[in-house]
Amino acid sequence: MSHIDIRDMSFTYTGKRMILKDINLQIEQGEWVAILGHNGSGKSTLAKTLVGLLEPAQGTVAIAGTIITPETTPAIRKQIGIVFQNPDNQFVGVTVRDDIAFGMENLCVSREEMLERIAFFAKKVGMEKYLDKEPASLSGGQKQRVAIAGILAMQTGIMIFDEATSMLDPYAREDLMKYIRQLHQEGLTIIMITHEIEEALLADRLVIMKEGKIFADGRKEELLKQPEVFAQSALVMPLALQMAMQLDDEATFGEVKAFLWESTFAK
Amino acid sequence: MKNIVLGQYLPGQGFFYRMDPRTKIIGVIALMVAIFLLETIPQLLIALAIGVVCMLLGRLSIKRIAKGMRPLFILLIFTFFFQILFNKEGSILLQETLTISLASIGAIIALTILWRLLAKLRRFRFLLLLGYLAGVYFSLAYLAYGYTFASFVFTVYERGVEMSVFVVIRLLVIITLSTILTLTTKPTDLTQGLESLMRPLKVIGIRSDEFALIISISLRYIPTILDEANKIMAAQASRGADFLQGRLKDKIRQIISLLVPMFIIAFKRSEDLADAMETRNFIPGMKRTRISELAFGKTDILATLFIVSSLAASIVLRVL
Ligand SMILES: Nc1ncnc2c1ncn2[C@@H]1O[C@H](COP(=O)(O)OP(=O)(O)OP(=O)(O)O)[C@@H](O)[C@H]1O
Ligand SMILES: [Mg+2]
Repeated sequence: MSHIDIRDMSFTYTGKRMILKDINLQIEQGEWVAILGHNGSGKSTLAKTLVGLLEPAQGTVAIAGTIITPETTPAIRKQIGIVFQNPDNQFVGVTVRDDIAFGMENLCVSREEMLERIAFFAKKVGMEKYLDKEPASLSGGQKQRVAIAGILAMQTGIMIFDEATSMLDPYAREDLMKYIRQLHQEGLTIIMITHEIEEALLADRLVIMKEGKIFADGRKEELLKQPEVFAQSALVMPLALQMAMQLDDEATFGEVKAFLWESTFAK
Repeated sequence: MKNIVLGQYLPGQGFFYRMDPRTKIIGVIALMVAIFLLETIPQLLIALAIGVVCMLLGRLSIKRIAKGMRPLFILLIFTFFFQILFNKEGSILLQETLTISLASIGAIIALTILWRLLAKLRRFRFLLLLGYLAGVYFSLAYLAYGYTFASFVFTVYERGVEMSVFVVIRLLVIITLSTILTLTTKPTDLTQGLESLMRPLKVIGIRSDEFALIISISLRYIPTILDEANKIMAAQASRGADFLQGRLKDKIRQIISLLVPMFIIAFKRSEDLADAMETRNFIPGMKRTRISELAFGKTDILATLFIVSSLAASIVLRVL
């Protein structure tokens, strides 16, 4: 039995067009999975079915052996944290401190513990100087950092990030990734939805979605050996990987130059 | 739009800022009652003086408070004239025949133009308004030349002046009280204070914590929504919409074209927000701990003593 177990699951918003079609996905405890796919391929919808916000039309979603139903969702949500795509629409608190605290307040964490965790996680995302600021005076990336801190502070066993780092600057992203790697090593299950292939390659396993279906699923080393999978799902491989694959070991400097020129300007 | 201040909260130091919002809310209510118990102008002036001393001790800028009260000056002026015009008790202080004549109408028109022009300078507006009203009065009183349309007798009674001064000072003190409250208390603390004070209402089924959450979320989203309105207006203006000119029908159309996207976005936003709250384990009506804590401190004890003795003093004055 897998930690996250999606079986023959389909989902529709309108009752007509299926947005998710026959999804089968098993994720083990402690896995780090990246979900890739073009805009509208159903990534966010899939994430919402995992936390019981959307109810499948067919099939089931189970977390740690419990199938998600309206009765089981409150208990299941205590095990999952999810950061959504739009940072502006998930800022509940009036200040940064209040917002990081919101999830913990609902989990009935004691006040002392909350203050400790807020100090720790605000620092983790580099927002410790902004604790008393209102959301209106923060930038998009800063709001994203606060949203991430709020979920990290809940210390759930499964964490889902839905393009949660899209507005972070490279340094903040690197810091966060380091921390997520640490959490992963401590045994947390991480699901990261992203358009950044570099970010996805930090995961152990890649799931590529296309038009509501799982198009490819496997360990990243294996998937990277099949460039056609990436090409068919409108994903661009990192340049370094393309080079490693297309040029042989004896490539001359001229060939490398020509390759770089080609891939950068000749499209 | 980023620097919009909700309520009138102005960050600062001093004991007003250290006080528990609950003390301040109860205090303002109790002191208002105390003020309403006072009956004479000297008593009110003493109250005003005590208030000013408190403000100075609390390191509040009187100028800033006056600025916060500016929108209410009109109310003060209106109250003042209302009393003067309609209170007909006591001896007559002033009696003047006011005449609406060609000359006085001309003078009033000239004064109005001058006033509006000077008002554009945006300084001394209050003095200007007083000067304008005085000018109108003198033109009516002394410029009875040319064709006369109407004339009437304007009488000011002693009691009228007394009452108008009394009522205006009382209003001033009360407005000052509430201004101090809103200026030194963050909207969040204010809602939390109200929540805490309303907690006993749970007995009759009013859930004050949910009420407070709704208020604080609304407060949090007002700047975001204003920001959005600005963006939509800018986007529409760049496609040729004009929100200022045009006929009424066009204007209404523009406003609808602003409101429709705003409502759609607001609905989407509230849906997302509900999702975010739900996945962060919020369940309406469930017990939750709180990060912000109200603390009743030394300042509050002193303030309570002050409030109780003020109230007692005005009750004694009233009864004697
Ligand atoms: N609330 C909704 N009602 C109806 N259809 C929706 C709703 N939300 C999303 N859809 C549709 O479902 C499909 C999948 O959307 P989803 O948000 O899951 O895509 P995504 O993979 O997350 O895309 P992106 O990379 O842009 O975030 C899209 O075709 C979208 O139009
Ligand atoms: Mg999405």
